Amino acid sequence: MLRVLINQIRFTALQAIGLVAFLAAILAFLVISQSIRQLGRFGAVDNLGTIMVVAVIRELGPLLTALIVVSRSGTAIAAEMATNRVMGEVTALEAMGIDPYIYLVLPRMLGAIVSVATLMVLFDGVALVSGYVAAATNGMALSRYTAIVLKTLSAKDVWLTLVKGVFFGASVAVFCSYHGLAVKAGPTEIPQAVTRGVVATIVAIFILSAVFVVIAT
Amino acid sequence: MTASRISIVLGPGVTEIAGALPLVYRDVDLLGRAGRPDRRFFLSVEPGEVVAAIGDEASGVEALGGLALGLAAPATGSVEVFGVPITLLPYYDLLTFRRRLGYLPQGDGLLQNLTLKDNVALPVRFATDHRLREVEARVAQLIDDFRLRTIAGLRPAQASEEDRRRAAMARAVALNPKLVVLELPFVGLTSRAASDLLDKVSRADDGQRRAVLLTSRDLTPSVRGLVTRTVRVVDGVAVEDKK
Repeated sequence: MLRVLINQIRFTALQAIGLVAFLAAILAFLVISQSIRQLGRFGAVDNLGTIMVVAVIRELGPLLTALIVVSRSGTAIAAEMATNRVMGEVTALEAMGIDPYIYLVLPRMLGAIVSVATLMVLFDGVALVSGYVAAATNGMALSRYTAIVLKTLSAKDVWLTLVKGVFFGASVAVFCSYHGLAVKAGPTEIPQAVTRGVVATIVAIFILSAVFVVIAT
Repeated sequence: MTASRISIVLGPGVTEIAGALPLVYRDVDLLGRAGRPDRRFFLSVEPGEVVAAIGDEASGVEALGGLALGLAAPATGSVEVFGVPITLLPYYDLLTFRRRLGYLPQGDGLLQNLTLKDNVALPVRFATDHRLREVEARVAQLIDDFRLRTIAGLRPAQASEEDRRRAAMARAVALNPKLVVLELPFVGLTSRAASDLLDKVSRADDGQRRAVLLTSRDLTPSVRGLVTRTVRVVDGVAVEDKK
């Protein structure tokens, strides 16, 4: 199980670092570049920190990270579970007295939780740096950018990110595993199971995001 | 089932009746036709007996393995394993109980993302509380017994059908069960390999014969010599029972 957990973290987190960092950089650069220009027209550049923290760090970052993990790892989990079911491996595990949920689902869930939480922290870090680059290209000094962002950024944003990582990661593993293991008819059902798993996870992640907004405010 | 008859407590709610037969099918409907009471299956497997249930695809023999392991519930009648009505056990008690049984599913049921060695090790690692050293020793013994040494590092897809079957059978007896159920174990094997594997599977670690129920379409002469009883199944009923 430890091997499955390590493989899950390697595939879900390590191999996704480049993509998450790239998208975080682009997103933060676009949002901050546009915001500086628009806010500058009204002399409200000091609100840049609110946009950075609330829009990028608190909402879009976790959402985008979770969507990346769903598209990369959620599909893989659902397809793997469905294949395990179709190949009779789940039945074989049960026949050996091994709980397939403990053996197959639990390490993937732990791996997804660790991975999503870690990737969210990475996303936030890259977004902050990229946001500075965008601000600097629009003439803002590092000290001012830092002061504006730190004024809005709080400890709540850090733990909220980690809590979201736990819930979003668990959602990816649970929904994709559930739909993968629900396959009965045969190999032709595998793509449908993957689709169902991904759609269910995306819906769950958006609902959870809304719930977090309500809780956090 | 009175308390005095329960001799061994295997876990919460899981029991074994002292002196009970390894496997009993009683009044079982193999083909899902509840309205045909004349088409019911009866079979008991004695300790140390190697019973071959022979029949074609429509006979219902393919249902026997799943019923014995509690993977499926009979529409009528009951299946008792060591005196325990297996389908009545709660899920987690059933998982614990199955560790006393060996099972070769149709095909082989090997996990494709594990090597043959890891497949053999699976029940020892996850269904026992053995220490790592004990697990390694048991797996090494099984690998040697089933002549898997040179191909132990291969994945199932890289191995031949015979090697996959060897690994699956090694896995089935990894916990030294008193009863082994084999579903179509000889498909695609030479008669020599089939008799070799059946001989290995039917011997417990202490050299005693263990109870084996195997299902097959037919038996080759070399395998027939190792089978102590042959039951021919037609249309869900045992029509011939030869010792």
